Amino acid sequence: MRRAALFVGLLALAWTAWDTGADPVRLARGVPWILDFVRRMVPPDLSVLPAALAGALKTVEIALLGTAVAAVLALPLGFLSARNVAAPALFYPVRAGLNFFRSVDTLVYALVFVAAVGLGPFPGVLAVVAYTTTSLAKLYSEAIEGIDPGPVDAVRATGASRLQVLRFGVLPQVLPLFLSYVLYRLETNIRAATVLGFVGAGGIGFYLQTYLRLIDYPAASTVLLVTVAMVMVVDAASSRLRDRLV
Amino acid sequence: MIEVSGLRVVLPPATVVLDGIDLTVRQGEFVVVLGPSGSGKTTLLRALNRLVEPAAGTVRIAGRRVTGAPPAELRAVRRQTGMIFQQFNLVRRATALENVLAGRLGYVPVLASLLGAFPRADREIARACLERVGLAHLADRRADRLSGGEQQRVAIARALAQSPVVVLADEPTASLDPALTGTIMDLLRGINEERGLTLLVSQHQLETALAYASRIVGLRRGRIVFDGPPAAVGPAVVRAIYGDGAPA
Repeated sequence: MRRAALFVGLLALAWTAWDTGADPVRLARGVPWILDFVRRMVPPDLSVLPAALAGALKTVEIALLGTAVAAVLALPLGFLSARNVAAPALFYPVRAGLNFFRSVDTLVYALVFVAAVGLGPFPGVLAVVAYTTTSLAKLYSEAIEGIDPGPVDAVRATGASRLQVLRFGVLPQVLPLFLSYVLYRLETNIRAATVLGFVGAGGIGFYLQTYLRLIDYPAASTVLLVTVAMVMVVDAASSRLRDRLV
Repeated sequence: MIEVSGLRVVLPPATVVLDGIDLTVRQGEFVVVLGPSGSGKTTLLRALNRLVEPAAGTVRIAGRRVTGAPPAELRAVRRQTGMIFQQFNLVRRATALENVLAGRLGYVPVLASLLGAFPRADREIARACLERVGLAHLADRRADRLSGGEQQRVAIARALAQSPVVVLADEPTASLDPALTGTIMDLLRGINEERGLTLLVSQHQLETALAYASRIVGLRRGRIVFDGPPAAVGPAVVRAIYGDGAPA
């Protein structure tokens, strides 16, 4: 039985390799082209550095603003989709809605919002908000479902109202986790925001795509280096903050 | 002060934990509910303020109905019913004083409290309660940095901050070093005597129960099998409560 399952699994994988045209020989033949690409990128053209830095700043702004707004919007949704807090009449529809909207990636949201509000960083912010709200709401609700029910009972027993119970019995238990999730989302949003420019939603991706289209590889490599530096700086800062929280 | 009649609690799927409980506690009594683990002590206490929803029967505290009370009325009863738990149930990341302040939640303006603002008078009550349990000097220490005994004293202060007429204590010493049992029980006896507070304390320990109670209620398999003064607890009563197994 188990062997049959393994066989079927391997067969399926083999078929996907054939269907996607996966071919190690083709990859090997492509290596010189990759090397050529890299060779044409050095030395980086530092004259575009100011533009790259401005783009990076825009990307950080998109991620920061989008994550901050989403962190707040996700709060009520997180509570409403936590099994141990929300009434079933709310829990099921909210959770279903979140699952639906979370199945769409930030980049797809960006396409939608560019069409809706036009080019620039603003649709990028909206896209980050849309995806991050649903993903944070899910993380929040899982944190809420994992709390110790003891303090919640104790606060209920004092005659506190429902909102007071959430504020004094639940929130103190989950707040550090929430903040840590928000920082984690900020890190991934910086990465996601780097490609938002590809679809016209602002930030450093716009420059990368432009220089690649113009076949200006030295300029593109400057943009890439700035992107890498930006992601590393934000990651380091954010993970240091997260360590302090727990 | 506490009037229970015909109380029945069924926990899902269909376990009858308490059945046919009739109990009247007068003001100022120190009642110890005695019984082996699994006898329904915890459920009885939690049903009195409806942390557990009874299936049948009525509960009244200080003349107010508990069973059948709509939410606002239930909160009003809970507000004057302090509760102490075996596991202390403090918010670990909050300070001792913040935990005690939670006892004032039923009295303070809701909106301001949600923003973390408590009237000065309530802060002073909380501080006084912390002082009563001898922990004023640890007011700003986080609950998870306190010892077990200190945590339970903070929990007692939280219950006192409710200005309660009744205090329910569910095995308040079971999670503590036996050497601390006396400290906690003395504290409970103290508030019972000085404020005339009505106390309902569950215990699985026979000696402790006999030493502190003004009245013993024996519980076995969800039914009251004894109700009387400690002096009346003889070998026959112990057997009725604990069965043939030795009392813990």
